[in-house]
Amino acid sequence: MKSTTKLFALTTAVLVSTASFASAQTLDRVKQRGTLSCGVNVGLAGFSAPDDKGNWTGFDVDYCRAIAAAVLGDATKVRFVPTTAKERFTALQSGEIDVLNRNTTWTLARDSSLGLSFVGTNYYDGQGLMVKTGLKVKSAKELDGATVCVQTGTTTELNLADYFRVNKLAYKPVVFEKADEILQAYQAGRCDVYTTDASGLYAQRLQMQKPDEHIVLPEIISKEPLGPSVRQGDSQWFTIVRWVHFALLNAEEAGITKGNVDKMLESTNPDVRRILGKEGEFGKGIGLANDWAFQIIKQVGNYGEIFDATVGAGSRINIARGQNNLWTKGGLQYAPPIR
Amino acid sequence: MAEASRQPSRRVHGAAGAIVLDGVHKWYGEFHVLRDINLVVKDGERIVICGPSGSGKSTLIRCINRLEEHQQGSIIVDGTELTSDLRNIDKIRAEVGMVFQSFNLFPHLTILDNLCLAPVWVKKQSRAEAERIARQYLERVKIPEQALKYPGQLSGGQQQRVAIARALCMNPNIMLFDEPTSALDPEMIKEVLEVMSELASSGMTMICVTHEMGFARSVADRIIFMDRGEIVEMAPPEEFFNNPRSDRTKQFLSQILNH
Amino acid sequence: MTATVQSPSPGPIAPPAKPNLLYRPEFRQAVYQILLVIALIIGFWAIAHNVAVNLARQNIASGFGFWTRTAGFDISQTLIEFDNQSTYGKAFWAGLMNTLLVAGLGIIFATILGFLVGIGRLSSNWLIAKLATAYVEILRNLPLLLQLFFWYFAVLKNLPGPRESISLPGGASLNVRGLYLPAPVPESGFGYVLAAFGIGILTSIAIAMWSKRRQLATGQRFPVLWTSLALIFLLPGAVYLVLGQPLGFEYPALRGFNFQGGMAVQPEFMALLVGLSTYTASFIAEIVRAGIAGVPRGQREAANAIGLSNGLTMRLVIIPQALRIIIPPLTSQYLNLAKNSSLAVAIGYPDFVSVFTGTVLNQTGQAVEVILLTMLVFLTISLLTSAFMNWFNKHIALVER
Repeated sequence: MKSTTKLFALTTAVLVSTASFASAQTLDRVKQRGTLSCGVNVGLAGFSAPDDKGNWTGFDVDYCRAIAAAVLGDATKVRFVPTTAKERFTALQSGEIDVLNRNTTWTLARDSSLGLSFVGTNYYDGQGLMVKTGLKVKSAKELDGATVCVQTGTTTELNLADYFRVNKLAYKPVVFEKADEILQAYQAGRCDVYTTDASGLYAQRLQMQKPDEHIVLPEIISKEPLGPSVRQGDSQWFTIVRWVHFALLNAEEAGITKGNVDKMLESTNPDVRRILGKEGEFGKGIGLANDWAFQIIKQVGNYGEIFDATVGAGSRINIARGQNNLWTKGGLQYAPPIR
Repeated sequence: MAEASRQPSRRVHGAAGAIVLDGVHKWYGEFHVLRDINLVVKDGERIVICGPSGSGKSTLIRCINRLEEHQQGSIIVDGTELTSDLRNIDKIRAEVGMVFQSFNLFPHLTILDNLCLAPVWVKKQSRAEAERIARQYLERVKIPEQALKYPGQLSGGQQQRVAIARALCMNPNIMLFDEPTSALDPEMIKEVLEVMSELASSGMTMICVTHEMGFARSVADRIIFMDRGEIVEMAPPEEFFNNPRSDRTKQFLSQILNH
Repeated sequence: MTATVQSPSPGPIAPPAKPNLLYRPEFRQAVYQILLVIALIIGFWAIAHNVAVNLARQNIASGFGFWTRTAGFDISQTLIEFDNQSTYGKAFWAGLMNTLLVAGLGIIFATILGFLVGIGRLSSNWLIAKLATAYVEILRNLPLLLQLFFWYFAVLKNLPGPRESISLPGGASLNVRGLYLPAPVPESGFGYVLAAFGIGILTSIAIAMWSKRRQLATGQRFPVLWTSLALIFLLPGAVYLVLGQPLGFEYPALRGFNFQGGMAVQPEFMALLVGLSTYTASFIAEIVRAGIAGVPRGQREAANAIGLSNGLTMRLVIIPQALRIIIPPLTSQYLNLAKNSSLAVAIGYPDFVSVFTGTVLNQTGQAVEVILLTMLVFLTISLLTSAFMNWFNKHIALVER
């Protein structure tokens, strides 16, 4: 009920808002306000979840912080707005949030009919299926007749239908609004299968009472490129968010880390000097201070550091870099140069 | 059929001792509302009870059909003792009619339905038979033309006459009246008292709580004065009005007759 | 009024022949009405225009073209046929039917339970009265969402998996996936059994009418209830046996992960129905109690005094009068129940809000259209319920005067 009410309020905001903000410069508004409104997941370990002290942590959360560091010079100036899968796009359309960093899949439909633009892919994901080891299932092809728990309003719901149809398998979906509810229902045995992005499955498995009793099946049944999105029609803001992402990648590629960034200011490497604003006017070019990337790395870290600390080897979730490694290391993450 | 058409007047020479109260006590919590009530009402006798408010007179007659429960002593109505035995209570209630100060007609039913309700559901009369009797009694209380109206459409006096007719439809041996005229405008009191007098003359056993002293004088066989839960004085009307023994009775009479 | 139609213009231009026009209340009222209508039209136009412009400027798709597009998702429980090749429009109806199903059954159960508990609170039996009071106080003071979670997860956690199902008599099974019942499969000749059933019902109605007439005429009663039960159940039963039991059952059987075949009642549906019914019943109980308490004490005394038993007093005197007090607040409880059914999404029941305002909204991204339709649906459900209850209220109010 509450989320429906919130959704209703957001929709009303879309209805009555004048056209002003659509063309207005999001950058100016963020600067004027002094904080960045960032839409995140209400709770998905590794991506965005409040820790035991109430601080937001996670991969998506760090992307919010990186944008704030670049734009405002202070990674702490973020207002995190938790959104459900259902509310997220409306929150962005209505101007409630400036950017959506919520493990959201980039699709053509979303890019074209929702009035928003994805800036890039910061996490290459795919939909996985998790089952109890006790079922002795080794492959998704053995799931004929299974009951599947899935989250509402996601691409997952559609992929699931497609996969089972293509493979001529029968299934029963049970659809929930929040990941917590799915987790509870799945653990109570309501479903044989829990499906969502593979990263989410690994994260959720950690929340379970007995993580060892569940396995993620080898099949990845879809492409799920996740990335930040912004409203259409504000190319300046689009460029900023996109280049925050590229800066994170370029910093990792150039070996600049949170720990060595101060020392790197003295580097003679022109790549490093351009990233850190010692050479050229690249920050000014996108409407930011020249040390924008320095602030990101100094306060948040580079892409690899964020990945490791939140979902990678340095975290409890321990997901391999895989496709999310830099192109130089056999992965898909590739950023245009800062020059 | 025979039972239904039996007229109340046939009861005049019935068994003696229609109501016997023996050492009846009642408390509302700490409040001792009836103190050692002893009273024998003969069949066909007409009793008027008066007394200041709070003297327990209403409680007394409400004990007779078990709307209130007494805690000590015995009450025997028509040979049946009132105990917590539900069958006795139902039997007595079917034989004892009661008229309330506030009429208590059923507002969702027509006058005719008000009258037929208990005969049909309790006495299992046919609807036609019950209606025939009901119309007879409406005739008797002089409002036959109101049969199809609802209580809310009648004046207070008419409603009270309907209430009397409703009680009579159960063909009771005994009628209890709990201040039947207290809620009425003066011009309506008369029409109700006329009906009651007519009923009295038919030989019905009646116990009537009222302050209508004219009615008491002309109709009652005995008048009872109650105060603080006790029967203070009990005498035929002549003696009660002309030669009361108790000071409390005198004081009460002087207040009520001179006001 | 005719004068005002001829000259809607304000005072100074009004014909001198009617100098008082400006001061006529009808004229002023008409002017205010017209102004209000104009203001409303302008207001709505402005909003609609603004929305259209905004959506276009933000490049958000608009219109109802999505209605006939393929939905591409599945729904776990539907009353109409639905699969992932069906359209969004069909998803709308599937969700709506699910909401109506749970709301309709919920209203029936909540009413029955509410009346029982409400009367129970007034019972002279100490234990019953206290139990009823405890019921009301606990259920109406806990948030409904919490209660739904309780019913759902409490039930789920305590039920065994499909392979350890509890077998119930008659081939039914209960497990964490739901209650599986045998589905009746009529064979040839079963039509006669149905016909016998129908004849039994019709005859019972005829007997009830005849018995009522006979009671009016002679006062004799006929054991209508027992005769009817015999006619309705024994007659078709006899036909069934004579024809050699022409009804097969498709029994649910464990195949693979789940039971297949038979009829299944999902735990989401059961939890939602139980949660909504018991929660709303606690409010209805209070309404019923207040309604009965609102009937003057004298009514009960008068009924007792003419010899009606307590049961008859309740049925013939108290309840009919209490209903007039009960109906209006009861209506709003029914509306609440219908609206509260949208909490279904939290426990995975595919109601209208979950399917349409959830999945469809998200897959199409057309929040404005979907929310508008949602508002329209709930408005329609509410208005229809109110209209029916108003009609019913008027119907029983008429009895009084």
